[in-house]
Amino acid sequence: MNVLNFNSEQCARIRRHLDAYLSNELLVETTSDVLRHLESCEACSRELEARTRVRDALRRVAVSQIPPEELRQSIQRQLRKMQPGFFGGPQRLTWAVALLIIVVVLGGFATEQWIRVQRGRRIVASVLALGVSDHLQCAIKGHNYPNIANPPEKLRQQLGPQYAGLLEVVQQKLPGFEVLEAHICSVQGSPRKYVHFITRGHGTILSVILTRREGEQLPNGKWLVSGSVGLYEAHLEGMNAAGFESKEYLGFVVSDLSPAITVQIATELAPPLKAALDAGTGSEARLDLDAVPFARGGSAGVSPAVARATCPGVPVL
Amino acid sequence: MFFHPKLRVEDFEAAAMPHFPDLYRTARLLAQDRAEAEDLVQEVYLEAWKSFHRFQAGTNCRAWLFKILFHRLHHFRRRWAKAAKVEAFENPEDQDHLIAETPVPQEIRDEDVLQALGKVPIEFREVVLLADVQEFSYKEIAETMKLPLGTVMSRLSRGRKLLRQELAGVAQAFGITPAKDPPRAGESA
Repeated sequence: MNVLNFNSEQCARIRRHLDAYLSNELLVETTSDVLRHLESCEACSRELEARTRVRDALRRVAVSQIPPEELRQSIQRQLRKMQPGFFGGPQRLTWAVALLIIVVVLGGFATEQWIRVQRGRRIVASVLALGVSDHLQCAIKGHNYPNIANPPEKLRQQLGPQYAGLLEVVQQKLPGFEVLEAHICSVQGSPRKYVHFITRGHGTILSVILTRREGEQLPNGKWLVSGSVGLYEAHLEGMNAAGFESKEYLGFVVSDLSPAITVQIATELAPPLKAALDAGTGSEARLDLDAVPFARGGSAGVSPAVARATCPGVPVL
Repeated sequence: MFFHPKLRVEDFEAAAMPHFPDLYRTARLLAQDRAEAEDLVQEVYLEAWKSFHRFQAGTNCRAWLFKILFHRLHHFRRRWAKAAKVEAFENPEDQDHLIAETPVPQEIRDEDVLQALGKVPIEFREVVLLADVQEFSYKEIAETMKLPLGTVMSRLSRGRKLLRQELAGVAQAFGITPAKDPPRAGESA
């Protein structure tokens, strides 16, 4: 190997810079130094030319490597296959985990909601079943009403002084319906008493029923079909029932009319009935079903008309 | 990040496919054969697409792709196993500038370059290709190869010399005479 014995230290210094010069990495001042030296030094110029020739040959060889078109197409085909769908692509795992979390959370939420809805429906159905059972057993199956409406005086007498005032409310708020019968009754096997108005209209029998709450409570929220009057509805035993609450009573409108008509009737009827019941419970003349003599089915002094209203022989719902 | 609104393969292709020729050429000159080069480039693109959501639009896509290329290449070659060999070539107190430069043939044939390049250890070949063919800056090479700047400079210098020596050897073997430089004053044989 030849060793250069430069007389010129400048040549040695410049050649140390030649690699960086070739890569255009020198500072402007150093580049100027190199260029000035190259102008006057043939040996260093030849050295730079030799290095440049090698570099150019290398570039030429690199460019001569033609990239295969089929490789490009193959890559693009594979990329298209990996094109993300909504849940695909590079973040597939992230999506999968996120989806799993969403499913678990929504699933849990939906399950909880479903359970709440089912529980709410059961409560509404069980409470409204009280009214439906009396309608079915007393009015429909028991047919405890005359074909020609009883006179109002008789109905007021059967209702007793505590509930007689409600007759007018029912008559006023049920246009198109005729009150055939009004009494206090119960269904067999249950001590519960009902204030029962049996009416006829729209070609069918419709009952307006009131009973004292015994701990029953209708659920709040979405089960209300009419928030302004606090109405609930249910379809039970082929009947449509709309129900409402007062402080101490539950009220029902039950018929085989459509749910919409049933709710509409109840919407008109519920507010005045509720007001009357609440006013009654707050007054000295507190409404008390047990205080009505003929409500005590089977006890001494019960009139034949009232005894008939106890709806015997009909099974409890 | 759960969702990247711009994560479309069309966007990726628009950013990455223009660099396909450069990546292939570099891979071809570093890989042992054409099949390995093609596998390498294909893997680079699939890997890049998988991590495209981490790529920041507007940054240097070419450098990013080369970084993946070298990551895959080194993974293939288990570079660490050759570390001792590299050290033997790398001398921080490089005094090569005092050694006479190997004469370069006047006519350099492509096949000679390929043959000579194949004899240059890959650690030096990589840096020479990035600097002299792809025209990466020292800083870009350092980032791409995850090397200190000084190592990049020394490997480039050494790599160029090795290539030149191998080229001269190949040329001589085929009877090609080096370019004749006129004798210089003060030069001793």
